Amino acid sequence: MEARDLPILVVDDVQAMRAQIRSLLAGAGYKNVITVGNGVEGKEALDKAPFSLVIADWHMTPINGMEFLKYVRQHAVHSQIAFVMITAEDAKEQVIEAISQGVDDYLIKPLTIEKITSRIENVLRRKKVLT
Amino acid sequence: MSHIEKIHDFIQELNGFAATAEETLKKIEENLEQNKGLFSVFYERMFAIRGTAQQLGLDNITQIARLGEEIAHNATIAQTRPQIRKCVSSLWDALTTVKYLLEHHTEETSEEQNILIHRLENTLRVLGGSREKVSSDDIDALLKRK
Repeated sequence: MEARDLPILVVDDVQAMRAQIRSLLAGAGYKNVITVGNGVEGKEALDKAPFSLVIADWHMTPINGMEFLKYVRQHAVHSQIAFVMITAEDAKEQVIEAISQGVDDYLIKPLTIEKITSRIENVLRRKKVLT
Repeated sequence: MSHIEKIHDFIQELNGFAATAEETLKKIEENLEQNKGLFSVFYERMFAIRGTAQQLGLDNITQIARLGEEIAHNATIAQTRPQIRKCVSSLWDALTTVKYLLEHHTEETSEEQNILIHRLENTLRVLGGSREKVSSDDIDALLKRK
């Protein structure tokens, strides 16, 4: 599958951020992007269609990014999905928790097109989604 | 969508977050001890404002929202009524300024805002300081050690 066709799920509760991430991903060549506003909608989206990559914010209600990450990692079907946290959360304790729960990459805002392109490509190669 | 349009949409959305934060502070004031758990709601809203402001390069809003976020985080574990009251008062200052900056985001930081920033930093220090932060390089190192 071409990078541009890889299905990507973006979970962020701020509409302006969802639009910004979608725009950055489009600039990086990823066109097959679905965006939702919280972890509950994220779970529903995962159950409806397969995704190659999940990008999630941390602070959301009712299910936050960390709870969503744990859900994905413990899920019988979705546990191996590439999962990237994109957040402004830079407290050491929180970052360590995300890494220990199996996040594949952790990006601190602000994002640039160069940053998102290289980091996502690295994750997808490590996960053997891209060759 | 242009950067200006994105900022406009962001301001609209974030005004809603600021309104939630304001309602939360009012509820906390009604009963300082019993409602102090609501500081976490304020924290979440300040966090959302900071994250998006950071992404869009609105540095003044980012700086004050971060201080508000850290004070609210400390407030959730504040033990005494004077400490809680101090947090509420500082958070009103932070919120009022964030709301002003959302409406006037192109303005430079004024003398008055610098004084506020200094006062918020002092409050935060008295409350025990901010949590330990990591840079992107630190995160990369942590990920490599995984």
